[in-house]
Amino acid sequence: MNWDAALPLLVLASSLLPGLVIFFLTEERVATRTTLNLAGAVLKLMLVGVMIWGVFHGAHYETRLPLLPGLDLLLRADSLSMLFVVLSSILWLVTTVYAVGYLEGSPNRSRFFGFFSLCVTATVGVALAGNLITFVLFYELLTLATYPLIVHRGTDEARRAGRTYLVYTIAGGTLLLVGTVWLYTLSGTLEFTARGFLSGLDATHHWSLVVIFVLLVAGLGVKAALIPLHGWLPQAMVAPAPVSALLHAVAVVKAGAFGIVRVVYDVYGMQFSASLGVTLPLAIVAAATIIYGSMRALFQDDLKRRLAFSTVSQVAYIVLGIAIAGPIAAVGGLVHLVHQGVMKITLFFCAGNLAETLGIHKVSEMNGVGRRMPWTMTAFTVGVFGMIGVPPLAGFISKWYLGLGALDVGQGWVIFILAGSSLLNAAYFLPILYAAWFKAPAGTWPAERSFGRRETAWALLAPPLVTAFLTLALGLLASAPFGLLQWARFITRLEYAP
Amino acid sequence: MNTVLSALLLILAPLLPLLLAFPALRSRLPRPCHIALLPALILLTVPPGVSIDLPWLLLGTGLGIDDGAGRLLLAMSVLIWALAASLLHTAKGQPADDRLTTCFLLTLAGNLGAILATDLVGFFTFSVLMGYGFYALLVAGGDEGARRAARVYLVFLILADLALFEALLIAAATAKDLGFESVRQAMAQSASPGLYLSMVLAGFALKAGVWPLHVWLLPAFRSSRPAVALLLGAVPVAIALLGLVRWLPLGEVSLPALGLVIQAMGVAAMLYAILAGAKRASLTRLPAYAAIFITGLFTTVLGMGLSDPEVWNRQGNLACFLIVSLGFGVAILVAANGWLQARCQYSALPEKQADDSSPWFERWSVAVTRWAAQMGTDTLPRLRAAWLANVDRCLRRIRIWQRTLDGSERFLQRWAYAVTLFLLLGIVVVFVGALSWI
Repeated sequence: MNWDAALPLLVLASSLLPGLVIFFLTEERVATRTTLNLAGAVLKLMLVGVMIWGVFHGAHYETRLPLLPGLDLLLRADSLSMLFVVLSSILWLVTTVYAVGYLEGSPNRSRFFGFFSLCVTATVGVALAGNLITFVLFYELLTLATYPLIVHRGTDEARRAGRTYLVYTIAGGTLLLVGTVWLYTLSGTLEFTARGFLSGLDATHHWSLVVIFVLLVAGLGVKAALIPLHGWLPQAMVAPAPVSALLHAVAVVKAGAFGIVRVVYDVYGMQFSASLGVTLPLAIVAAATIIYGSMRALFQDDLKRRLAFSTVSQVAYIVLGIAIAGPIAAVGGLVHLVHQGVMKITLFFCAGNLAETLGIHKVSEMNGVGRRMPWTMTAFTVGVFGMIGVPPLAGFISKWYLGLGALDVGQGWVIFILAGSSLLNAAYFLPILYAAWFKAPAGTWPAERSFGRRETAWALLAPPLVTAFLTLALGLLASAPFGLLQWARFITRLEYAP
Repeated sequence: MNTVLSALLLILAPLLPLLLAFPALRSRLPRPCHIALLPALILLTVPPGVSIDLPWLLLGTGLGIDDGAGRLLLAMSVLIWALAASLLHTAKGQPADDRLTTCFLLTLAGNLGAILATDLVGFFTFSVLMGYGFYALLVAGGDEGARRAARVYLVFLILADLALFEALLIAAATAKDLGFESVRQAMAQSASPGLYLSMVLAGFALKAGVWPLHVWLLPAFRSSRPAVALLLGAVPVAIALLGLVRWLPLGEVSLPALGLVIQAMGVAAMLYAILAGAKRASLTRLPAYAAIFITGLFTTVLGMGLSDPEVWNRQGNLACFLIVSLGFGVAILVAANGWLQARCQYSALPEKQADDSSPWFERWSVAVTRWAAQMGTDTLPRLRAAWLANVDRCLRRIRIWQRTLDGSERFLQRWAYAVTLFLLLGIVVVFVGALSWI
């Protein structure tokens, strides 16, 4: 096996091997566990850096292992997969630092970090999958690796949430598998190809292809939390903050959204999807999800539940960008894959800090918290304004390309969805900022922990500050050469070039 | 002056206040708010026509200073901000607040950036920063009245930004780049500039508090700290008016009907300012009515410009002078008012010391009912008794509505799921109906 074939495997192994070792470490081996975690995350980041450089210069990284007769386990680095791999690798490193600080002194840390590493391995596998069957395998592995993290606290509420999560995701996985098998019987291949591998199929399969599309999108829509398949996400909020961050920003919902992008681009192909008439209904479902998620968020007093419904709304932007079926909107959707992750992880880190430091779980308990935890709330403020789409933050760039793309293909109604969503975002986020910065504190906090002169532990404070800075940098430097925007344009050129 | 130095000053003018907004970076500086103004002050000495392109920033933007409105506005801003900075922590009875300084510097960065922006995206970005910063400034530095004004301002600000974002998208879809001049020409040649124009007009009218959207201006002037009141004319209002000048294709298009409507609104605003100002003559209200009057005058000139491009090309500079005079005029009135208050022990809040936390109709309802009970309606002449009974009935009805609203609020909280689904269904029905109608 040469270097080009080994590199995708090495990227997977950089989190898989530390994870497997960590399972066997005793609770007291804190330093070994932390070192393994951080070394794995840093190594993965370095390998991904090498991979990006190679892909940009035309290198072809592909690992092919026989799986079933006629079907291979295929890992391949292409421009689209690199977008997701980079996101998950960077945010995994940041989340690992945060999780080390967050879980300090708590029980079952080896189990937690073991599954945590498995979860990231599965996510990277989803990103690097070169065919649909490899995608399905890693997608299901992600379900199984995430479940123990959701029920980590072991409370009744956590177990209930875990059960709900399993019911939803296994049902979704089943739909995905049925769709995949059906597709294989029709096409004889499952290998992702730029502009899809189905466009050459006989027109007599029209309705079969539509039904398969619905099956695949429904299966993926469970993790992407499209309505009405989103019910598990707000319940999963009982999980510890690093897990919430992982679910919402790095792994689970992103895997669903990324899968939908794969299906539309590399299974059906954009043009073929549009000709089948499936993109407009998908855009309408995404638009309804955007508005519905925001409206539900308005009514939540629990901070993490409010953020969860916000995720339901925000992830649908990615689907909307793809479903609008135009090159500019596609750029918006693709960059939002990264932007949403960075912004939402900031908000979850901050929510975790408030819970761990002051015992704050509800919006109604946040009066005056900006004075007690100014750095955390500064990061939170940046995340909130990013979510609303205020320039010059990352969310503005996403909304800009989505809106411009919609106008470009004559779907002006999307503009009103974006405006309505921004308005609702402002309505459920700005009262939090007002309470935090301008209302007087109620007196004592629900469960305050002292960290000396610092507002909280460094391991808890540094990650949200880093991701808040990224939120700002991704917006401010959007047009910089070798930036995310250029990468997204590169991907869409492959899909839309004549 | 050296081109590199000029470019550096252009970047530093908004950047330095932005950096100093972090408390850690200014904690050892003697007068951070004044220091933040230095690059802008030096920039006034730079030769005209200096600009820089920043293609890597945001969606590609630029900064520059022209010899006309830009320089004049920058000079006005530097002067007024310097004065406001001196007054920032001098209000009696109010403790020094570090948050206030942060809000002040953020607003300053947005204000200077908006003046120096050479394209729509840059202007929008800086004006949004300025808007949210000013909201925070109103809330952090004011009393309950200022906070109420700030809430209304925030709602207007969000709506305005949405409208301007839509306008930006339309401009980007129409013009080859988003420089002011390119957009102006593209919109002049566009077959349907109506949506763009209406979004720009609505957006900046909301931001400037143009009559009849001035509701937040009066309480803001009355209740803000002197330093904040000083900035009211020169910051949110003046920049919004500048936005109208920069974003609209003035001098390029002829829209007589729209121009006439805008002129009429301008005249109405001036009449309102004169009549309301005369009726409620008070030194504390004078700056607010002056702002409404000058804004009305500006609106009239704008309407004339939209009606006839020739008029704008001849008299367009008048609009910029009006913006500058608005900033200076309001600042002078606020400063004079403050000076008189200090000298004559004149209270800024002579008649509004009562607790007004409950809605006005509840207070009036209670007062009328109590008075009627004391008097007894039988002792009054018939007409007056009937009128009194009607008023009381009306106020009671309003109280019932209020209770119903409170009840519906509780209902919303309890039945969030069902209500959301119902609203969503409503939206879908309206949407499908609108689509089928189209």
